[in-house]
Amino acid sequence: MKPDPNDPAWAWAPFKPDAARPWDLRLAAHLYRRAAFGGTWPELQRALTEGPQATIDRLARPAPEAADFNRLYDDYENAAAASAGYGSQAWWLRRMIESPQPLQEQVTLFWHNHFGISNVHVKSNASLCRHTHVLRQHGLGVFEALLDAVLAQPAVWICLGAGANGKRSLWDSSVRILMDRYTLGPGRCSDSDVREGARALSGWIVSQGELRFVPGEYDAKSKKILGQEGDLDRKGLVRILAKHPATSQWLAQRLVRWFVSDTAKPSDSLLAPLARQLTGEGNIAKGVEMLLRSNLFFSTEAYRQKVRSPVELALGIIRPLEGRTGTVQLAADLARLGQELYEPPTIQGWAGGLAWLNPLTTLGRAKLAEALLAVSGAYGGKLDPAGVVRRHGGAAKDGGSQFLIDLYLQGDLTPETLGALEAGPSAAGAKGPGSADPRHIAARLASLPEFQLA
Amino acid sequence: MHISRRDFFKETAGATSLLAFGSSIPAFLARSAAAMEGGQTSRETVLVVIQLSGGNDGLNTVVPYQDDAYHRSRPTLRISPDQALKLDSGLGLHPAMPAFRQLYQEGRLGIIQGVGYPRSSRDHDAAMEDWHTGVLRERVPPGARTGWLGRAIDTACDPGKTDLRGVFVGEIKAPFGLQTERVVVPSIKSLEEWLPAGTGWSDSTLPHESGTPTSAGGASLLAAVRNATANARLIQPRLAAANEALQTPKSAAYPPFPLAQNLAMVAQLIRADLGIRIYFVEMGGGGIGGFDTHANQAANHGALLRELAESTSAFVGDLGHDRLLESVLMMTFSEFGRTLTESGRRGTNHGAAAPMFMIGGRVKGGLWGAHPSLTDLEQDAPKFHTDFRRVYATVLERWFNLKSEKILSPGFSPLDGVLA
Repeated sequence: MKPDPNDPAWAWAPFKPDAARPWDLRLAAHLYRRAAFGGTWPELQRALTEGPQATIDRLARPAPEAADFNRLYDDYENAAAASAGYGSQAWWLRRMIESPQPLQEQVTLFWHNHFGISNVHVKSNASLCRHTHVLRQHGLGVFEALLDAVLAQPAVWICLGAGANGKRSLWDSSVRILMDRYTLGPGRCSDSDVREGARALSGWIVSQGELRFVPGEYDAKSKKILGQEGDLDRKGLVRILAKHPATSQWLAQRLVRWFVSDTAKPSDSLLAPLARQLTGEGNIAKGVEMLLRSNLFFSTEAYRQKVRSPVELALGIIRPLEGRTGTVQLAADLARLGQELYEPPTIQGWAGGLAWLNPLTTLGRAKLAEALLAVSGAYGGKLDPAGVVRRHGGAAKDGGSQFLIDLYLQGDLTPETLGALEAGPSAAGAKGPGSADPRHIAARLASLPEFQLA
Repeated sequence: MHISRRDFFKETAGATSLLAFGSSIPAFLARSAAAMEGGQTSRETVLVVIQLSGGNDGLNTVVPYQDDAYHRSRPTLRISPDQALKLDSGLGLHPAMPAFRQLYQEGRLGIIQGVGYPRSSRDHDAAMEDWHTGVLRERVPPGARTGWLGRAIDTACDPGKTDLRGVFVGEIKAPFGLQTERVVVPSIKSLEEWLPAGTGWSDSTLPHESGTPTSAGGASLLAAVRNATANARLIQPRLAAANEALQTPKSAAYPPFPLAQNLAMVAQLIRADLGIRIYFVEMGGGGIGGFDTHANQAANHGALLRELAESTSAFVGDLGHDRLLESVLMMTFSEFGRTLTESGRRGTNHGAAAPMFMIGGRVKGGLWGAHPSLTDLEQDAPKFHTDFRRVYATVLERWFNLKSEKILSPGFSPLDGVLA
């Protein structure tokens, strides 16, 4: 089969390395960046030995210890969410760093972005915390169960306007968000579907932070939504929306945007096979797995075709260094760079791509790399690139420079950049020891334009 | 090449605007280049919004000192005719604001009177949200809301580019008025937070602008990120210089108020010419203090107004030195005014209409609109005659040359005679 990223048959066939696209450090690191926020040296080496499909098996299947790990972190997060501040977000960041199943955290973040529920409106860390737990619990399961569980919580209703709305049903504009953004995709439903959908959701109110059903407010008369008729209530509406073919097509598009590329505009026919994985017997895990295994995912259409979000940037610095670092400070720093967990800008989620970058946030990203890797300061020098270099046998005399390039950027630097890195920092502006300090080398690498791409 | 200061935003991008310079050169560089070639350049227009959190008492800010109803209703809080700093039409400023009277006399300060909106809320959060979104509550679900300035910034930033158009300067969380859908609007507490110290970042030997991308697939995205990095490297020395200037005693021309310190930073950033068009600063929010003067108002309110007037005046003087005032417009707002009647606790309660100050080199100084009647009240507060969204429309249309109906709802016409 000829490589053609627009041909669904080729695009979705499982990737098999060949001479043109060998399974090398670049592709292994690509997989780890997208599916696990970055890989450690041992993880990348193991991936090279085992090959892409076996590595994806490991990334996509639940780790045996994941359930215990997540229970523990749920408790930490819940406890921290009882107070104001970045406590529970910090626990989530730490969970992303340490999870035995990082793909689950990447998918949880995907859903957080998809629903775009913001604490600016909900005004309760505990409520946002519960919302993300639902996203985690169902995020790799069946979409209908996920949507049902999300709509069983107050956070989404507050963001859609039920909180301010007393006993009346949701506004039409709120139901349009449910249909246009959360399920069917833009422009797939009529005004009448929206009105009838609002009737199906009548009776639900948020009172004192809890979602309640008031039977007297429920409009029990028959409704007709997207061609289906009957006494449709919330569950009924969820079922219709979740099972509608447009929904799986829309989710497929969102998943491709998240996992493959900021810039691709996949056609409906390209998306169709992925969409089919998400419906019927399939579920989200199967879809994500198919995506990660695909030729498309390992093609030039995907490679370095995403701007790292602040979260991905920070974790891309931290995870490969096998480190742990203060995540309360990190949550605040990520907020300054435009990605405050629990506070996506609108129900559309973060715009992503080049929208992350302006001259100030670009400086701020370099500043964050510097702070994370500094020997002291806000992050206390907890990351230890020298130790990583030592453990994995990087040559000591270049300060581990070549090793760190392989770990952080693989073969993706131009000869000019490599030459400049080798020459070391110019006298002006460089503080402290020169190029032999692995902390400085790592910080330098992490502020390169190439590193900003996932 | 002459660049008009008004036509910068994408909405009106024409032959003389950003697009004419090609895709990769930020405007501030293009302008610097034009300046070096000996061309005339003028600054882009800049808006500085000053939020007065808590509900500023308009009646003791712009005082109707000839009005009997005023004196009758405020036995202890009233400002007597001999205390008021006389303006025109029987109105005077609070005695703590000689700095504002000076600006008024110089024709740089305009006062738009009686600003509010229909069925205005007297709840802090709800009213502030109305002022921030510029769209009244019932129309948009919370999760879909954005700020009016955020929408202006989103409109002004081309999705393919990485420009910086708006920032918040201050200690508290950025107000919702700056909430965008797409673009990141940074909050600046200190410039150090944004300035890498070294570690090779500022190393000029690293190639950044061109260079052959190694991966064919990632070429265009990488080029855009390199461009953003190049721009960041170019602004870094300017930010560092601004930061340095803020540490030197010269900035002691500013009084030691938090608002003054924030405005001193804004002045430095304007001077650094980074392409930022919208600055937002705030006083009174985030804890104690503020304009919510329910009890023992007199001393507290006077201190706040002194801070406002002296800080702003220092800012005006600072910009004036560099002839930057012509391109800068300041606008104050608060979520509501206060009641006419003094409460038993020598304070005032949440009200409705209040005045807004407009300050700058191209403001038409003086009073705009009538002072609201004190005998025809709405639940003890002055009624509005000018919707705040008309003031916003004035700024969007006449200062930024943006189409306001795309940012506010249609039907809010700009005010004539506010800007010169």
